[in-house]
Amino acid sequence: MAIYLDHNAGAPLRVEAAAAISRVIADAGGNPSSVHLSGQRSRRMLEAARAQVASIAGAEARQIVFTSGGTESNNLAIFGAVSAASRRRRIISSEIEHSSILAPLAELERRGFDVVRVAPDRDGRIDPARVLAALDGETALVTLGLANSEVGTIQDLAPLATVCGKAGALLHADAAQAVGRIPVDVAALGCDLMTLSGHKLGAPAGVGALYVRDFARIAPIILGGPHESGLRAGTPNLLGAVAFGAAAEAAVLAMGTESERIGSLTSTLFARIREAIPGVGLNGPIAGRLPNTLNLTFPGVLGESMLIALDLEGVEVSMGSACAAGAVEPSHVLRAMGRSVADARSSLRISLGWNNTADEIDAVAAIIPAVWRRVADAEPMPEASAR
Amino acid sequence: MRPRVLVAMSGGVDSSVAAAILREQGYDVVGVAMRLAPEPSVPLAKRRGTCCSHDDFEDARRVAERMDFPFYVIDLRADFAARVVDNFVSEYLDGRTPNPCVMCNREIKFDRLWSRARALAADYVATGHYARIEQGADGRFHLLRAADDAKDQSYFLFTLGQDELARTIFPLGAMTKTEVRARARALGLATADKPESQEICFVPDDDYASFVEGRSAPAQLRPGSIIDSDGRRLAAHSGVHRFTIGQRRGLGVASGQRLYVREIRAESGEVVAGRREELDSPGLIANRISLVDNSIAPGRELSVEVKIRHRHRAIPATMRVDSGRRAEIRFASGGPAVTPGQACVFYRGEEVLGGGFIERAITEEQAN
Repeated sequence: MAIYLDHNAGAPLRVEAAAAISRVIADAGGNPSSVHLSGQRSRRMLEAARAQVASIAGAEARQIVFTSGGTESNNLAIFGAVSAASRRRRIISSEIEHSSILAPLAELERRGFDVVRVAPDRDGRIDPARVLAALDGETALVTLGLANSEVGTIQDLAPLATVCGKAGALLHADAAQAVGRIPVDVAALGCDLMTLSGHKLGAPAGVGALYVRDFARIAPIILGGPHESGLRAGTPNLLGAVAFGAAAEAAVLAMGTESERIGSLTSTLFARIREAIPGVGLNGPIAGRLPNTLNLTFPGVLGESMLIALDLEGVEVSMGSACAAGAVEPSHVLRAMGRSVADARSSLRISLGWNNTADEIDAVAAIIPAVWRRVADAEPMPEASAR
Repeated sequence: MRPRVLVAMSGGVDSSVAAAILREQGYDVVGVAMRLAPEPSVPLAKRRGTCCSHDDFEDARRVAERMDFPFYVIDLRADFAARVVDNFVSEYLDGRTPNPCVMCNREIKFDRLWSRARALAADYVATGHYARIEQGADGRFHLLRAADDAKDQSYFLFTLGQDELARTIFPLGAMTKTEVRARARALGLATADKPESQEICFVPDDDYASFVEGRSAPAQLRPGSIIDSDGRRLAAHSGVHRFTIGQRRGLGVASGQRLYVREIRAESGEVVAGRREELDSPGLIANRISLVDNSIAPGRELSVEVKIRHRHRAIPATMRVDSGRRAEIRFASGGPAVTPGQACVFYRGEEVLGGGFIERAITEEQAN
């Protein structure tokens, strides 16, 4: 059985989520929008799930809009915000965002919007002062990831809210990687919009949510029926929402103990790898990071080779931004953090989660150095790949 | 433990069947598709038959799913550009006609890919090449022509030595193409009826000249004159990279008789055109000689058959290898047109003895 260390790509289904799905299937309910009793039962389950999801971010249930996932939530936040703030033309973000932020921003740039992308420091931190320096009366939206998916750096967004509010700009936090791993509270952050993702915390892929503080300041991007307070048309994905709710509740309940346990497994793993592989580099800060994420630069090897070699040994990790077609470009996050192309190509992301055990980490701590030695010996990083 | 074999899969029928056969034989098969060139920017409707396209990789992936072995796409674009494409361009600019398939085998499949195989703890590398490897009673490995003469690819593999042959498997060497397709159909592989890819995989529309020009500075191109055998200027041309030995079309020469390129002088930019019979030469000099088995002593004259272009037949010749990895080849009778840059491969019957790259033709005067 493989050891799965790619929770930032998607966590295995939590037992609570699987049980919730079974209950919905057994109920064979109707469309939650329908008048009849079957519809009413479904609606009750949907709304219970909404409350569970809201509680993970300290939000009220009515502020949660279910979507098809983090990508849709980010698209809704960005396109919905600029379409509601019709005259404002500036959007502020960073260089290290997820593709579901970067691609919408590039599209808006093509449409004539003024997109500012703030550069991070070497540890992936975005300086709030640099964000505020770009803020003006033309700014419609400030959108930043709360925790980076590739390196796990947690951003300090708290200083932004008041100033954004005064400037009339919306603040959007992409918390897809943060919820369930660190305490997240929309009130403490003071954000207007927040992206939540189901499958990062143990629900199936295909469900996510957007926290919306004020529905008047955002317009829908999918038009149709009046579902989700008119912000997201389409019959709700009841199976997904209920599983999301159950996974969110389980994650919240386990938060204290689970984060600590995962954090300690992650630190142990890093300590043992660093001991066995001289020159291994940690990407991201020592403190102020997700407890489950390790992004490591392995000296002298291609990350692609390490990734495949580890997979064949039953250890599943990732390159951060992998591409199924095999044209893995060096991570834009690591490049923005000042890493060379060669170092970016030598880096792997290891992300732990709810189902990892101490025995697994013990095994991995032995396998990774052994595989690194074999790969470094057989296939030293070729000159051509460093360019 | 089952031996692990890394199978290079292009998404074509040959490598699909090669992988499937090894899987059936009980090997621990790991399929890899090598991304060598950028995704071709051809319209969707025309994508079939180009290499390294998304569709090709998906075809290979489907075979891996059907036969239940792991499959990965690996990114060798940088190595391919540095070790195959750059060489291809500079050879054309120097007036030679390169054979990138030989270079790809030497530099990518049996070097770069082999490093990857060791990194992945694989014992062997396998490809869908049509050629055979046999081990003699003395333990030495022999590289032999394929059973299917029409598909034989041993010409492209002459750079393999004992170390490479010991860890290489060509599962299709004893099969005909018809048998391979039948096998693919029997296994239910999606690639069974895929058309052959013939041309050089990274050159769009087979247009070498444009490809070379797109990767060269204008100052690197060598324009000049087309002259006849007596040195008379017949026409101007825009670069020696546009010509290969034996070429008839594109000379831009109005002449009563058919003219062929017989020599390319990159330094002066002169392209010499002549009559068909002027193309023939009695022999050639080849360099960077590599021998499958290093038992051939320098200086000794050997009778062999040589093949100097993939589509040519092997012809009788004598050869002598010197200690500097160069060889002099003399054709037994009326030699064919010799094209610098192409591979010259030595055979004895079924067996590949080795080969090298053609440096130049020997002229009649030198031969006498």
